[in-house]
Formats: sequence, C-alpha cells, structure tokens
Amino acid sequence: MAEVRPEEVSAILRKQLAGFEKEADIYDVGTVLQVGDGVARVYGLTKALMSELIEFPHGVFGMVLNLEEDNVGCILFGESSEIKEGDVVKRTGRVASMPVGEQMLGRVVNPLGQPTDGRGPIKTEKVMEIERKALGVIQRQPVKEPLQTGLKAVDGMIPIGRGQRELIIGDRQTGKTAIAIDTIINQKYTHSEKAKKEGIKPVYCIYVAIGQKSSNVAQVVDKLQQEGAMEYTTVIAATASDPAPMQFIAPYSGATLGEFFRDTGRHALVIYDDLTKQAQSYRQVSLLLRRPPGREAYPGDVFYLHSRLLERASKLNEELGGGSLTALPIIETQANDVSAYIPTNVISITDGQIYLEPGMFNSGIRPAINVGISVSRVGGNAQIKAMKKVAGRLRLELAQYRELEAFAKFGSDLDKATLQQLRRGSRLVELLKQGQYVPMTVEKQIVSIFSGTNGYLDEIPLEHVQRFEKELLEMTELKHVDMLAEIAMTKDLAEDLTKRLHEILKGFTESFKASVKV
Amino acid sequence: MKNLRAAHRYAVALMAVAEEQHVVDRVASDLELVGSVIRGSREVQLFIASPVIFVGRKKSVFRALFGTRVGRETLAFLELLVTKRREALIANIAEQFATLRDEKYGIVNADVTSAVELDPPQGQELKEHLERFTKKKVRVRFSLDRSIIGGLLVRIGDTVLDVSVKHQMEQLRQRFLEGGPELN
Repeated sequence: MAEVRPEEVSAILRKQLAGFEKEADIYDVGTVLQVGDGVARVYGLTKALMSELIEFPHGVFGMVLNLEEDNVGCILFGESSEIKEGDVVKRTGRVASMPVGEQMLGRVVNPLGQPTDGRGPIKTEKVMEIERKALGVIQRQPVKEPLQTGLKAVDGMIPIGRGQRELIIGDRQTGKTAIAIDTIINQKYTHSEKAKKEGIKPVYCIYVAIGQKSSNVAQVVDKLQQEGAMEYTTVIAATASDPAPMQFIAPYSGATLGEFFRDTGRHALVIYDDLTKQAQSYRQVSLLLRRPPGREAYPGDVFYLHSRLLERASKLNEELGGGSLTALPIIETQANDVSAYIPTNVISITDGQIYLEPGMFNSGIRPAINVGISVSRVGGNAQIKAMKKVAGRLRLELAQYRELEAFAKFGSDLDKATLQQLRRGSRLVELLKQGQYVPMTVEKQIVSIFSGTNGYLDEIPLEHVQRFEKELLEMTELKHVDMLAEIAMTKDLAEDLTKRLHEILKGFTESFKASVKV
Repeated sequence: MKNLRAAHRYAVALMAVAEEQHVVDRVASDLELVGSVIRGSREVQLFIASPVIFVGRKKSVFRALFGTRVGRETLAFLELLVTKRREALIANIAEQFATLRDEKYGIVNADVTSAVELDPPQGQELKEHLERFTKKKVRVRFSLDRSIIGGLLVRIGDTVLDVSVKHQMEQLRQRFLEGGPELN
C-alpha cells in the first residue's frame, strides 16, 4: 500500500463537503416525560405516525406504539438508562424498517438489520417496512411444492409445503430447534446443480432467534457455517440480553426479509425460535405502556400479534412470480400443556403442528415426534407422488401400532395378527429414528420407508434395524444410483421401479439376515 | 392528565360563552390577570388549594379580589369553578383559553433562539418570513443561547426549523462518520 498523502485526504474531505447543503433542517420534536424499562412516554410529537421511528439522544432509536391525547408511548431499541426526563426527541419520518437484499445472506444481524457479526457494514439497495400487511386471496395460490426437511418422520407423515405455516411445539429440550436447523441444512441441496436439473428451486433461509442465550445463537451459527448452510441463510438475533422491544419486533423483521425473497419470485423459509418468548416480551412492553392485561396477563391483541405475523407466509400466484414464504414458528410449552393461551392461539393460526414429547425423547425416539397428534393440514398436496405412495400406509400402521402397544406386555399370549402388527410397528418406529444434522434426500427416504412398509424389516431383529437401513442406503447408492436419480427426476414410483425396488430389497434382506446370524 | 382534560372542557365552554357575547379579548386578558395574581402570591395559591375553606367564603374572597378588575363573565366563571370545586384548575384553564384564542385568531407562537441579539429590523424580517412559512400570524419570543454558535433555531409548536451552526456541524460530523457519498 502506498502511503497516504495529505492532499489526498483533503481532496476526499473537499468532496464530502461539496455536497453539503446549508438549507434549514426542519424536524418535529417532543420531550421525554417518563422513561421506563424499554419504554418511554413523550410529550409533543403531535404529528407522529403509528410505528414511526423516532430518535432519542445518544443514538437510541424508538418506535411509536401508543398514540394518546397529549403524549405518545414508544418502545426503545437501545439502552433506556441513557435517556432522561426532559430529553428532546426527534421524528425521523420513517416507519420502522429493515434493509433487505442478497447481501444479508450469510450474516448475523439484529432486528433492525444492523450486523452483529463484526464483519463490517451491509450495503443493501432496498429497505422495507417491518410491519407489512399480509397479501390477500387474489395474490395467492394453493401450496403445491414440497419443502423437504430431510427428516423421514416429517417428510413422510407431516409434509410441509412451500408457503405453509407449520408449528413446531413441545417442552424445553425436546429437539424443537434441532428440527428447524436440520431443515435449514437440508435446503443446501436445493442450491445445487442437481436440484436445478430436477426443477427444484433454491430456498433461502432466515433463522430468527428470540430471547435465546447468545451462546445458543453462536452455536447455531457455528453449526450452520460448518455445514455450509450460512451461504443461503440470515440469522436475525434478539438475544435474552437485548431490550424486550427488540425481541418483540424480531419476527416481523424476519418476515420482511423473507418477503423480499418471495416478492422477487424466490422461495424463503423463516423460522421463529420461539414465539413464546416474543409474546412474553410483547406482554412486558404492553404492561409498561399501561395497556390493560387479559388472560395470563397478555394484552388483548396478543392473538393478532401472531396472526398478522404468520399470515404473511404465503405462496404467490404465477403472475407475481410464484415465490413463497414458509414459516416454521416454534412454541415452547410448560409441562406438555398445549391448552395454555399462546400455544392454543398459534395452533389455531398455523396449518398444522409437529408435536414433540419429552417422554419419547427420553426413551430414545429422536426426533421425538408424536405422530398421532401431529398434523399437516395442507402439505399432503405438496408431497411428491412417490412419497405419497410409500408413506400412505406408514401413518396408518403406526396408528394401529400405538393402539396395540399397551398389549405388547402380554407377549406370546396374543394372536398372530396382533403380534405381526406390533412387530411391524416397532420396526417402523425404529426406522423413523434419525440423527441430528444428517438430513436425508427424498429418494433415499423413499427407499428406506418402502423397506419398512413392505415388511422387509419384519424379520430383522429390532437392534439391527438401523444398521439395516444404513447398509441398504449405502448399497443402493453404490449399485443403483440410476434408480435413485430416476425417482428424484420423475418424482414418481412407476410400476417397473416398484418391481425393481422389491427385487433389490429381497436380495439385500437375504444377505443381511445371513450377516445377523453369524 | 385527567385534570388537563377537564381544564380543556372548561376552557372550551368559556370560549363559547365569550364568543356569544363578543368579549373574547376581554375574557382573555382577565384570565391573564387572574393567572398572574395567582402565580404572584403564595397565599392565594394556598387559599385556592385548601379544601377546608367553605365555598361561600371562597366566592366572597374571589369577588373581593377580582370583582372590580375583571368582567362580569369572568367573575361568574370563577364562581362556577368554585361551586364545582375545580378552582385548582384556574391556572390550567387560563393557559388552555389562551391557546384556544390563538387558534381562533390563527396565531402561532414561535420561540427563536439565536447566538447573538437580533436588532429590531432583523426580528421583523424573520417574523415576516415565518408568517409566510406558516401562513399564519406569528408571535415571536426571542431568546439568546451562545451554545448554538451561530444561526437560528426556531421552534413553532412541535416543529423545529434548525439553521444553527451547531446542528450543521453535528450533521457534518455524521457524514464524515458514515463516509460521504463519493468515497471509493
């Protein structure tokens, strides 16, 4: 690098000064009446708009949330300890907004779009409002493409479509975030050349962390980086130490960024982890703003808080580019209580839920999905034909298994049919187990589930089922890549393919049984 | 806040009566006088605030104090306030009434802060400019503040017209921090 010469510096300074106008600056002001934890009441600001950004001293920004007769109630996005009574507040004339663009991918930002990963400023061309109205009926079309999570249990039985809202609900430590992270990692496939040939469009991911520990967020980012998933992912983090107002607006920022991708004809997936904490921070600011409390002390509009957010998930019609925004909200329950206020609200808003149970988690069934009460209300249309064919019976057989499970204790006293039912069920449960961070492509899932629902596992001892699956998939990948490719390409299981699968499985099962006996 | 609302209602009612009888200006100056008397004497303040004194006594004291100095309407209004036990609001009502009158006549208040004293022709010129800007009559109040370095700071209601050197330097500083438009 050449050394900096003084005239260069002054040249730059002159350039900057040249564009500086000396016109009068006109702005509206108010005076701080009262500051609380994350909220302030401001006298004046008579022309302030709802959800307008306002500027406090020391570079703290706030957002108008209450418009009253002679004062406005604001939430603060910075240190409220810096603000004093009597401070002068300025209107910015802008509604709270967020910079959007491809430049946001791979970055960790706060809910206002400012980077927090220490990798320099983000230069985007566009800024979009945080609170946007959801699209109407005319602009939408039914969900039709699958969003593969890479988890057999989800893609097989609770399929999620692009543009759907699927709730992930469960107690703490039941693997809710794990499902979300696996889904993000699995989208790596959609960015590959192979997916392009198969006509699968890339999915951009946004992970919104609300009220989590910073160490958790760091871990997630680290994992995504290791898996190469950060290239198409933005992490929006409002951690536990951020002010409650930040946590409250974080999901809306995430939705806005997702809408940018959707409106430019692309596909986006946004994960809100988790909305329970967002509702709690909204409760905090609402109570501080003296809005009346309702059930569980939440304000009256807490339903609208989530409904307007999740309604923004959508699948656009073809004239608008056919983009989509899929939402995976996460809700944490206390002691399995899904009838609490926030869980019931969000269950009723979403198009289905994935229900995770600590009991199953602890008995080693992971992902700990309770298939009986988990549903997907629209995703079925989005499943590829091949998956529909093999997984249709999966759900039914598991349901029958659960009914009979209680009888399993009686062992040999049962009739043959029941025993067979139990045997099949237990093997399917074993088959649906899947490790974390190992998403599976849909064609492999099909082969795997096919082997289970067609009874090839029935003769295999339970403890060998996972090894069976692993070796089966390795073998198919080695010797029958063309078949896997054909399933992926045609997305259907034609008759000859079914026949071929049966043949492969027959041969493989024989040799596997031999290996078990030895 | 609740009191302010009540004060506003009394002021609106008084304005309606004053308009009917065409005595807006007299009532306004009467209220100004009442306000200044109250502000000027701690004894009067305590007397008004005290809940122990009978309504009748309060009325007679008001009559003795203002009977000859304010108009009939204003005195009646003061007595009404005492009867309604709202005498504590008098100062607020006077303020609200002044605002209402300004609104009625299309007058706005402008607070002008400058670093050096303005001479009268300058003040007059500024006033005319402000009247063109607001399209209303402007009542200007001047004040001095050396910390703005130079230029003017005009505040009309909630709106600030900032041509102070201090503000411009602050903006310039922001620009340098952000890196100007033509860098790189």
